[in-house]
Amino acid sequence: MTDDSTFQQMLLNPAQRNEGFRCLMKQYGKTLYWHIRRIVIGHDDAEDVLQNTCIKVLEKIDSFKGDGPLMTWLYRIATNEALQHLRRQTSLFQSIDSLGEALTTKLKAEAMLDGHQLETLFQQALLTLPTQQRIAFNLRYYDELSYEEIARITGKNIPSLKTNYHYAAQRVKNYIKEHSQ
Amino acid sequence: MNELLNDIDKRLPYQESDEYLDSLIDSATEHAITHHAHSHSKWRVTMIKLSAAAVTLLAVGIGITLLNGHTAQPVPMDGQGPLDEFLNTLSDEEAAQLQYYEIEEIPEY
Repeated sequence: MTDDSTFQQMLLNPAQRNEGFRCLMKQYGKTLYWHIRRIVIGHDDAEDVLQNTCIKVLEKIDSFKGDGPLMTWLYRIATNEALQHLRRQTSLFQSIDSLGEALTTKLKAEAMLDGHQLETLFQQALLTLPTQQRIAFNLRYYDELSYEEIARITGKNIPSLKTNYHYAAQRVKNYIKEHSQ
Repeated sequence: MNELLNDIDKRLPYQESDEYLDSLIDSATEHAITHHAHSHSKWRVTMIKLSAAAVTLLAVGIGITLLNGHTAQPVPMDGQGPLDEFLNTLSDEEAAQLQYYEIEEIPEY
């Protein structure tokens, strides 16, 4: 595990930037892929968003101030890129929250059929949540980030994130209860 | 519900293997590095072109200024143009009046 300050030194030094970026993606690439995948659902979409995230990270690395963990900064870029990707799939005046059905169709098409019914049902339940709530839930549940870290990524305040998490968890439980019989 | 969540254990219903994702991430990384180098050199070429254009404009501007300075020399006074002929017809008094004529006296239209 390379620490943030080493990464920062490498990435800000033009002679070491590419090597630093390779190490950075080796360390965090998969985490970012799965974070993106949980937002956009489709693998091809996740691949596109991951690519754009990589480009954006290299472009913006000079603006990284180091006032928070590097991983949080990466999550923020990936989240923004994923949200932009979803926005491009909506028509004018349509909210990304209305993509739930389309994303569920994508999920069913890409989910493994045998022995993964519960996981698929769980993902379906998550897709009933508003997008921002779903992202916060994923960051807390799957990535096990603290509310402080989630607040830094999403720009939301901590009390609202806590309320949203509990509300989301309740909604997911209810959905699974209704649909698992 | 908690048992159910334990059963799921944060698994996702997708099939992409770790090896596949490693190669996907490697290729995204290399593509981003190439893209960055390309856009960086493109930016440098644009800046060089812009600088060259600015220098050319400056040189042209200086050239025009110098040329105007060179051509805008005083007209030799020995010629007999229509203005000279008119001035020659004026008396000393009329010429003095002309000297005191001020631009502010031109009436507004």
